Amino acid sequence: MANQFYWQLPTSGDARYGNATRQRRGEASDPNYPVFGNGVTDPRRNAFSYFDYIHQVTKAADLSGFNGIFIPDNPDGEEPWIVAGYVARSTQRLKLLTQFDASRGSAVYAAKNAVSFQRYTGGRFAWHITEGSQDERIRKQLGDFVPKQDILARIDEFITVAKGVLTTFPFNFVGRFFEVQDGGFQGPLSDRQVPSIYLGGNSTAQLELSAKHADVHVLDAVEHDAIAQQIAAYRQIAQGRAVDFALRIDVLARETREEALEDAKRFLNQTEAAIPADDSPLLWPGFSEQHTGAKASLIGSYDEVAAALAAYAHLGVTQFVLAAVPHFEEAYRVGTHVLPLVRQLTNPAQKQAA
Amino acid sequence: MSIDVFWRIPTHGEPGSHRARDPFRGDWFPGNDNKTLSGLGGGGDDGFTYIDYLAEIARAAEISGFQGGLIPSFPNTDEPWVISAFLARETKNFRFMIPFQPGFLNPVVAARMTASLQRATGGRALYNIITGGGGPSQLWWGDPVKHDDRYGRTTEFLDVLKGIWAGGPFSYNGQFYQVEDAGLPDPLSKEEYPEIYFSGSSDAALASASKHADYYLSWLEPFDLIKDKFARVKERTDHLGRKIKCSIRVDIVARPTEEEAWREVSRGFENIPKEILDRYKAQNAGDSVGASRQRGLRPQTINSYKDFILSPNIWTGFSLLRGGQTLGIVGSYENVAARLDELVQLGTDAFILASTPHLEEAYRVGEEVLPLVRGKSGASNLRAVA
Repeated sequence: MANQFYWQLPTSGDARYGNATRQRRGEASDPNYPVFGNGVTDPRRNAFSYFDYIHQVTKAADLSGFNGIFIPDNPDGEEPWIVAGYVARSTQRLKLLTQFDASRGSAVYAAKNAVSFQRYTGGRFAWHITEGSQDERIRKQLGDFVPKQDILARIDEFITVAKGVLTTFPFNFVGRFFEVQDGGFQGPLSDRQVPSIYLGGNSTAQLELSAKHADVHVLDAVEHDAIAQQIAAYRQIAQGRAVDFALRIDVLARETREEALEDAKRFLNQTEAAIPADDSPLLWPGFSEQHTGAKASLIGSYDEVAAALAAYAHLGVTQFVLAAVPHFEEAYRVGTHVLPLVRQLTNPAQKQAA
Repeated sequence: MSIDVFWRIPTHGEPGSHRARDPFRGDWFPGNDNKTLSGLGGGGDDGFTYIDYLAEIARAAEISGFQGGLIPSFPNTDEPWVISAFLARETKNFRFMIPFQPGFLNPVVAARMTASLQRATGGRALYNIITGGGGPSQLWWGDPVKHDDRYGRTTEFLDVLKGIWAGGPFSYNGQFYQVEDAGLPDPLSKEEYPEIYFSGSSDAALASASKHADYYLSWLEPFDLIKDKFARVKERTDHLGRKIKCSIRVDIVARPTEEEAWREVSRGFENIPKEILDRYKAQNAGDSVGASRQRGLRPQTINSYKDFILSPNIWTGFSLLRGGQTLGIVGSYENVAARLDELVQLGTDAFILASTPHLEEAYRVGEEVLPLVRGKSGASNLRAVA
């Protein structure tokens, strides 16, 4: 199967600048501080909301050749399931990879909501289940008091129950976190399309959980050597249970490397972050992490970025979760200038056909 | 103060009329078990799914003057959160009344979902909080908490939701829910808190409703019972210093003449299979107080649809046609409007109406019945001049 490319939606604000507080697209402006000042009439009033912008980014990803959208769960932003439903009706082929953690509530209820998603989208709903914040203080703000050492066990039960009720009737389960009696869906709700399950992490316990439940194991952006090691580590633990590997990585790609470096440095200046002394590496750790959540960004020309992505593909990565700021314009840029190059590099047969 | 009227979204298929039993829109027709037949017209692969039909109903309801609609949630229905998010963008006024049981969601997640939905729709989300049911069906949902505890949990859930809504910081240490320094983030915290319709007939339910509900929601019951019930709800909430309104959800059959309306019901009754009538007589399940109150209205002998006529225009056989509640209103447009007006006089402040098929009947009821409802105005409608 050809490589899959996801574009990330900005669920917690987006703008042209590294300093995201400067502008939030689609938000109604504060009447006390009109964006246009007194010089120009502002015809928008409250006609638009931030969701109109999220919708545009989704359409941009669809039109520019991505296979799916990734809807991250940022506690400071929009709730991902609502975003997924909101954009779903306007898409025909995009996968809706929706991120959440297992503290959201009943696994049966999540599965039942997933049934409606699957029925209405022809099975395009996918789950990226995380452990939530590593910071216990933040988890308590979010109503989650389960201790850190139990979180993977809860994810395990959550998926067991969700898969159980989606594929089996009657389904019974009594665990530490979830309980079901004679569960499962009947009639037209029983079409048994379990959302594709994405999990992540590099610890032995995390890899074991992926080996048990995941369709796709998500890797954070690090250098190629490290990715090769992580894939090898998974394969050693999984004992033959195959998964696909996805890489979550940001991209800042321009026609020339000089332009990319110029824009990268301007962005870092706006975020008031330090500019690396050595700007020769392609991969910049932490570059736009505060905006996107991705651990690192590729910075370079279209050719350089495409080659780096293709190199990850050659190590066994088949899915890419990409992002760049601002998400709308960059979706078109990356879709237009980078994805075709990666597809050619990873699928030479296609190149010959073209 | 005029009254709010909502419509209903049929979340498990749609028969063509009250006469018919099997859905012909949507895929809930008999025999479609464990199959993927996604199309609308009898399940053929026509490129549509059921949400395409639901979108039509939501548009019909908003175009013909309803506030929005209740989107029921049961084990074999599609889910209201999903439907609301899917239809947010293609509706203008339609308010999404989302029923859910608090035990199913972390209240912080529910708050974020709701605030995002408010942002996506311009404030068109509202709740129907459900706590009742019980027995094995509650464990089907994965919920082991007992009946009276569940109302305590509902109260805690809404305590937390309200506490974090405007941004917090809010801490809470309940039996079922805890949060520490919690609060919705800006700009989600700027959204309007959702209006809450609250269902449940037990004392535990009323105590919880008194604290958190805007509208107490009841099925239609005999008018004297409704009057007492609403008086009791209002007395109890007045006692707590909160004013609460009352609302009724009711199925109706409205036709140009009363005779035509009863003919529709009569045809529907004739099509009820004997085994369903037998099962109806033997029914006894669940610990919902509301459900057992309705069971008490069963006629002694059942020979004709007329045995189910409780009082003028009130028929108690609706659960036999479609499932759900038993009492409904049958009559001419004027009859139905008059009965609704009586219910307003007995303390009703809002209605959730429904009739089958929901698409065509949304237009009929919006055009023919709603203009005749006087509500609290008391004055005859200006429309009578024409």
